[in-house]
Amino acid sequence: MNLWGWLFMLSSWGLILGLTVFCFYRVLIEPAEEL
Amino acid sequence: MAEQKPRDLSRAQPREKWGTKLGIIMAVAGSAVGLGNFLRFPVQAAQNGGGAFMIPYFISFLLLGIPLMWIEWAIGRYGGLFGHGSAPFIFDKLWKNRALKYLGVIGIFGPVVIFIYYTYIESWLLGYAFFAITGKLLAFTTPSAMKNFLLAYQGLAPGSNLWTAYIFFLITFAVNIWILYRGIKGGIEWLCNWAMPVLFTFGIIVMIRVLTLGAPNPQIPDWNILNGLGFLWNPDFSVLANSKVWLAAAGQIFFTLSVGIGCILTYASYLSHGDDVVLSGLSAASTNEFAEVILGGSIVIPAAFAFLGPIGATQAAQSGAFNLGFVTMPLIFGRIPLGEVFALLWFALLFLAGITSSVSLAEPAIAFVRDEFKLDRKKSVLIFAVATFLLCQPAIFFLGHGVVDELDFWGGTFALVLFATIETILFVWVFGMDKAWEEMHRGAELNIPRFYRFIMKYITPAFLLFILGFWFIQQALPTLMMKGVSAENLPFILATRIGLVLLFLAIAILVRIAYYRRKE
Repeated sequence: MNLWGWLFMLSSWGLILGLTVFCFYRVLIEPAEEL
Repeated sequence: MAEQKPRDLSRAQPREKWGTKLGIIMAVAGSAVGLGNFLRFPVQAAQNGGGAFMIPYFISFLLLGIPLMWIEWAIGRYGGLFGHGSAPFIFDKLWKNRALKYLGVIGIFGPVVIFIYYTYIESWLLGYAFFAITGKLLAFTTPSAMKNFLLAYQGLAPGSNLWTAYIFFLITFAVNIWILYRGIKGGIEWLCNWAMPVLFTFGIIVMIRVLTLGAPNPQIPDWNILNGLGFLWNPDFSVLANSKVWLAAAGQIFFTLSVGIGCILTYASYLSHGDDVVLSGLSAASTNEFAEVILGGSIVIPAAFAFLGPIGATQAAQSGAFNLGFVTMPLIFGRIPLGEVFALLWFALLFLAGITSSVSLAEPAIAFVRDEFKLDRKKSVLIFAVATFLLCQPAIFFLGHGVVDELDFWGGTFALVLFATIETILFVWVFGMDKAWEEMHRGAELNIPRFYRFIMKYITPAFLLFILGFWFIQQALPTLMMKGVSAENLPFILATRIGLVLLFLAIAILVRIAYYRRKE
């Protein structure tokens, strides 16, 4: 894998992991809510 | 346009509700995560510029995927306020127009059509998981032997029969119906709350195993996992000038998020009016992307490269998603220690991805019967079960005559794009952007950036109209004209089309009956 490949893979992973962690942090920080 | 007031709320029967916020996020993510995340995405990426594919992919995610997700969640929750969980009646609440509810029929028709072939394909995964345990699956060592096994399983090889496949179909169908019978909270939410973490755990285990394969054949050290990742991720920037690559990325985002089907609409209708949709929608979308880009991008193509080399991986990718999943992957598992265990994890995770999607496909039709004919869930599920069981039979027995491909085109492609275009234009243009924005932000735990007003009003509908137009010219016209259909398959394709028209008309008539009964 070349440098560009690493760059695209890690930045894609980073974006998605960042978004997922942010969303679930916001969801789970609230006490379990009965809808 | 006269404003719709939620005064009918008092007349509406009490509707089921989700148990927790995490429950609906898992359910929507379960609906979105399917076979395509693990099989379609890596093929699309590898064939459309590798890492460079991620540029149009993420742009489509931001301009098409996320706005559509928020729009569907908001429309669904709005409909639920009036006691409606299916598109025809939700659309009617957004805009009083005699014809509109019939366009909403697509939101029931599409998921039913997908359900009738998807459950059969899902049952293959259960069958293959069983064959992985017994060791039968890994006994085949060549692509042709594995392919023949798949054809024999489907009853398409000379001298083969369908009984094994049919038994697994009956089990899969019964499990689906049992979950639906248990209801929203006790069935679908219960399933997704355990199935999604299990699916991700299995996916991470298989991914780690693939990423630690190194160079399986020491004679050819270049056939290794790092080069396999490079095969998928090394960018080819020249493809960015090709409109087909942008369309492929938009199509992938569209299909992977389960938007435009009608399922999210129905799921969101079980929310209360003050429940958040912005953060929940984004969480479900990000969960789906995790499964697709991180897990899906690290399993199939890198493994195929490490074992088959660049030419073999290219051929495997070109042979299509099904071949990758049902032929290439079992062959690879056959060559690694504890292959039976990893094959079991692989097919089990795909089965869980399938079943969490198929129950969501059933729910719009069940919600329609339940809400509009005032039947209880058990009766609604039984009616759905009998109808779809009968409808599944042509997909099973005439698989070799192109029936499933035909159903997939009309239910799984054309209906989706058309429905998404209609609901987006209806919500942001007819219902109005100001009201739509207010509706999306009701109870929101996250503020949508203001520039999304512009994106939702202009960019997303334009994007959808472009996709719809392009597909109509590129795919719908040749498909309508039945180009490439053999004389032998022609009667089956025609019969499928007549069946689809009759199904659409039957749902439309039921909508009409329900509408006038409700008015009375």
